[in-house]
Amino acid sequence: MIDVQQLRKQYGDLVAVDDVSFRAEKGSIFGLLGPNGAGKTTTISCISGLLKPTSGRITVSGHDVVTDGPAARRHLGIVPQELALYSDLSAAANLEFWGSAYGVTGEPLRRRVAEVLALIGLADRGKDHTSTFSGGMKRRLNFGCGIVHNPKVLLLDEPTAGVDPQSRVRLLELVREQARAGTTVIYTTHYMEEAQDLCDRIAIVDRGKLLAMGTLDELRRMVGEKDLVRLAGRFDPAAATRALEAVDDVKVLSAAADVLTIATVGASRKLPAIFTTLASAGSDIHETTLSVPSLESLFITLTGRELRE
Amino acid sequence: MRFVLVAAAKDIRRRMADPAALSIWIGLPLLLGGLLSFVSSGASEAPPRARVLLVDQDNTALSALFPTAVRPGNTPIDLEEVALDEGRRRIDAGEATALLVIPAGFQDAVVGTGSARLRLVTNPAERVLPAMVRQMLEVVVEGAFYGRQLFSEPLSRIARSPQSGPAPDADVAAIAVDINQRLTELQGVLLPPVITLSVKTGSGSQPLNFGQLFLPGMLFMAFLFIAQGMSVDVWDEKQEGTLRRLLTTPQSAGRLLLGKLVAGIAVASIVACAGLLGAVALFDLAWSRVPVALLWCAYVCGALLAMLTLLHLFARSQRGSEMLSGVVTFPLMMLGGSFFPFEAMPAWMVAVGRWTPNGLGVTRLKDLLYGDVSATAIGLAAVGIGIPAVLAFVLSWRRLRSFANA
Repeated sequence: MIDVQQLRKQYGDLVAVDDVSFRAEKGSIFGLLGPNGAGKTTTISCISGLLKPTSGRITVSGHDVVTDGPAARRHLGIVPQELALYSDLSAAANLEFWGSAYGVTGEPLRRRVAEVLALIGLADRGKDHTSTFSGGMKRRLNFGCGIVHNPKVLLLDEPTAGVDPQSRVRLLELVREQARAGTTVIYTTHYMEEAQDLCDRIAIVDRGKLLAMGTLDELRRMVGEKDLVRLAGRFDPAAATRALEAVDDVKVLSAAADVLTIATVGASRKLPAIFTTLASAGSDIHETTLSVPSLESLFITLTGRELRE
Repeated sequence: MRFVLVAAAKDIRRRMADPAALSIWIGLPLLLGGLLSFVSSGASEAPPRARVLLVDQDNTALSALFPTAVRPGNTPIDLEEVALDEGRRRIDAGEATALLVIPAGFQDAVVGTGSARLRLVTNPAERVLPAMVRQMLEVVVEGAFYGRQLFSEPLSRIARSPQSGPAPDADVAAIAVDINQRLTELQGVLLPPVITLSVKTGSGSQPLNFGQLFLPGMLFMAFLFIAQGMSVDVWDEKQEGTLRRLLTTPQSAGRLLLGKLVAGIAVASIVACAGLLGAVALFDLAWSRVPVALLWCAYVCGALLAMLTLLHLFARSQRGSEMLSGVVTFPLMMLGGSFFPFEAMPAWMVAVGRWTPNGLGVTRLKDLLYGDVSATAIGLAAVGIGIPAVLAFVLSWRRLRSFANA
């Protein structure tokens, strides 16, 4: 179990993480969803002890990561965003070393290394140097090094970034297996689909702040039944916003000279009225995108920006 | 402690995966040692002698003493009497070390009250031998000065005696009595001598050959290469992401650094072991000297590794850190007797170089291998090297986390 309370990390004037609190229970997958620079990696770094929080409290299985760091870290496994492997050692030697770093030794370590190699599909490549591995294989080994000591809490920092679709599916399945085995998983991603498919609870973060948190259903309810319409073209933002206020049940989420984002119920039926209104306001529409309620639309609703911006 | 050994074993395995680097660390000193040994192969030949051309324009009994005083068996000087013209021609042609001209009136000046100027022309193409000749001549001149101070009266009688024919018996007797009186007066000062000269010959009475002289420096050159190569590993681990990952484990940064030191010490010990066994085989080094010398090598290499690691941790980039360590390592190598033996270096360089960490290491290793050295001297050198190394280790420990996150 992991408990984060009012976590704040500040570098001079820059607040990277601002009053973030969440709790993840045993056997659950907790997602931190946000764009690049949202503060996800900083949060993970604070939990793992790499960074000292400016304020707030983090406990892992009851151990405070600041005052009782080594004990807290003993229960943690981490799979960093970037590969963290010894390229001049074999896969088995990498696993053995990371297992030893967590105090696993002797026969239990050898048994566990064999198990993990089988789990990540590298049983027949255990003796090969990792420098000879493909990107997907390295990703899987990177994951294996994070679980070789059977951690109670597993931190995954965008583990699928830059991974091919096949390896991604395999990795996500490995994460589910860990959770089923009782491991608490903290999973950061900027892929909305991954968060939707994988996580039991999701926190949406942006610019260091936690904007919303709950199960997928709870978050969807926050968006309501409104569809999201994204219009690309040429707009006078003030005139377009004023004109659309006259259309029933339409809310302008963001307005710029080239993009207009609006939320409305039954968007497909309202599109003719929207087009006519905007045309009268001097707008020129080139492209229209319609999205049903999702985490993406929630993120846009909360921040006025797209998740990948 | 267990993790320290695990981390060290991991680093050694990684080094073994890069045999090219290992062979450079060990092979380069061997290659340089071999080349220098080849270049200096004349070291085992007879020591060079100074050839001094003597022009005697005085032709007196006193000036005739010069060739007798400088007998080949007594001094490293071969004296050859020549005419002035020939002497000038040959010194101009660089055929001799020096030309000494004893002017006419030299004897009169020594025994009387006048003065004479000895002329010494040295060969600028030679450095050591002319200095030796000049120094020996200064000793002779100084001897003449004190002799004149002590025996001015008898000497002036000799000067006043007839130039030809035997001196009258009375004069000879008077001079002898005078000299005896002077010696009696001086007896209280001269006998027993106020200064006792004690000559102590080292146990290794045989002079060291070039290989023996170069071995300690060659080992330390290898240690500097090892320390430089292995200290940059903090950057390799940072680039591979393993350093950050390691800091998320329950292990402390200190254990991680200690593991790296142990790995470096292990590699250095293997190299030192090979070098010392070579010395046993080639130079008849006593087996009993090997264990302490090996411990000393391992200790100093560990200290060098700790100091260089700190340098890397303060660099802004891996390239910068490699340049920085090179800028520090190579002067250390040149100054600290790890490229040329101290015996072949200018005095000012030796004076500076002996106080560098590797210079201290080389000096004491030489003592441990070929001479006598007290436990106090070794202890002081160990403390001198150890204090900056421990300081560097502690600073590295404190710095490692911010280095990993930077």
